[in-house]
Amino acid sequence: MNTRTGPVTGIVKAPLTLLYGLPLIWIVLTSFKPSSEVFGAAFSFTPTVAAYSDAMGPALWTALRQSLTIAVGTTVLVLLFAVPAAYGLAHIKGWIASLGLGLLIVFQMAPQTANIIPLFQIFGSWRLLDTVVGVIVADTALLIPFAVMLLRPFFRAVPPALEEAAQIDGASMPRTFFSVVMPLARNGVFTVGTLVFLLAWGEFLYAVNFFLSPGTYPLSALLSQQVSAFGINWPGLMALAVLTSVPILIVYSLSYKSLRDGLAVGAVK
Amino acid sequence: MPTPKTLAPRAAVGTASSRGARPRRRGRRPHWVFALPAAVFLAAFSLYPLVQLVRMSFSAVTSGTLNQAWQSVGLDNYLRATESGEMQAALMRTAAFVVVVTLSGMILGIAGAIALRTRGRWSSIVLAVMVFCWALPPVVNGSVWKFLLAKDGLVNSIALGLGLTDTAYPFLYDQTWALMSVAFVCSWAVIPFNVLVFRAALMQIDQEQFEAAALDGANRWQEVRHVMLPAVRPTTLVLLILTVVYGFRSFDYIYVMTYGGPGTATNTLPFLGFLQAFQRYDYGLGAATSVIAVALVLVLAAVYARSILKEEKE
Repeated sequence: MNTRTGPVTGIVKAPLTLLYGLPLIWIVLTSFKPSSEVFGAAFSFTPTVAAYSDAMGPALWTALRQSLTIAVGTTVLVLLFAVPAAYGLAHIKGWIASLGLGLLIVFQMAPQTANIIPLFQIFGSWRLLDTVVGVIVADTALLIPFAVMLLRPFFRAVPPALEEAAQIDGASMPRTFFSVVMPLARNGVFTVGTLVFLLAWGEFLYAVNFFLSPGTYPLSALLSQQVSAFGINWPGLMALAVLTSVPILIVYSLSYKSLRDGLAVGAVK
Repeated sequence: MPTPKTLAPRAAVGTASSRGARPRRRGRRPHWVFALPAAVFLAAFSLYPLVQLVRMSFSAVTSGTLNQAWQSVGLDNYLRATESGEMQAALMRTAAFVVVVTLSGMILGIAGAIALRTRGRWSSIVLAVMVFCWALPPVVNGSVWKFLLAKDGLVNSIALGLGLTDTAYPFLYDQTWALMSVAFVCSWAVIPFNVLVFRAALMQIDQEQFEAAALDGANRWQEVRHVMLPAVRPTTLVLLILTVVYGFRSFDYIYVMTYGGPGTATNTLPFLGFLQAFQRYDYGLGAATSVIAVALVLVLAAVYARSILKEEKE
């Protein structure tokens, strides 16, 4: 791979730096501004933590707990369903495999705004509205297809000879799966688990519509309500955005390498 | 008695090998069992909802009758959706939105990948920052862009400061600007992903190919045109479909930045269906609009499935 730098690449890199660096800096800067100076000078202002101290109250902790429950619950459920499914689908051939794959792609591509209309009615009649379980189930259904599609290439990359060897040695199917296949697909499972967590953390459409009162909203839903309100309190909104992003920063710094390298493998193959 | 001895361990494997004495080397184990739990779950929470959506689109459903027996109205919802002209207008907006997101997502994706494939601190930092932005919740990104594009926001301050304009640009308050502004933010959000995918394809190129190109006296641009672009071609179709679908389904930036407005300026087809159901409580009409949206997605899904299956056969 040619990795020389040159002046040409700088022409692309400089705007990208601004385009992605500035918004991040602006979120943080604004969250420390007093309301009166929001649209004032960029860097010369009296920093205050008022926005944070206003945001931190019992409501924030409830929202944080809801976010964590939803994101962790969804990640666990999605992996429980998607990991075996991706393994199975990577091995079966013929029309059943094609049908399964086709349906997964349709589910993955169907707009979430289309899913929510029947789900709202179904959850209403199954008494799942206004419950954390309902939101977790909806998020899980939303993300399983995506997870299976990303995981499948990782399982296809496991050499069949290894599994056959285990089989000949007398390993049962679950045993082969857990002690031969899983260790080899571990990176893929880790990457997909991280992605599912990030997506479930940010999901707000189901949360806003399935929870019937803002008292039980997760952080993302709270944020979506504040930003579409009239007369936005920008420092408060940005402080809430920063607080919502802190867990993402933690997950991101633990998994950056695997996201950077693993995403491309699963997305396109 | 050597035969039973050699058979014994194979018999212990289970049903798969009990069908014959011939060793089944191609692994004819019932792998589909592994996919069963997910299949049942998706049948209940993905397939059944889609069936309900279609049924709902042929019925009169309002918030009052949502959980009662629905009265069938035939094609009435579809007729209402098209006669008002709402559907056609939303389709045009969706097309413009998708074109902007796809073009900028693909072009800046490949340009970014070529620029950021280089080793060095600047490239790695920019790539890391971009991936972080991509990982952030859309509500967070949408909030900050709404702030940056506000009347007194940073973008307008810079434009005014540089003398580009005398009055602030109405990024989110004007019928035409709003759709393009949201499309811009939407492509901003997808570019990091496209950069990663293109970058992975560029990393596969053999060093020798660059050396050969250099020997032939290729300049930078020819290197891009004759070495890099051919190398990313197989990836391009799949990524193109993914980007089109991303733009088409996108609702989060619309929800956060304009909520479909001003007026109906940012009502794309999927968002229009949502508003009809959850703002006007006309679930039948919303379902009809959404069925059209899903049908459009089916075409893309078919192309995507074909290209995946084709690639795997090779």
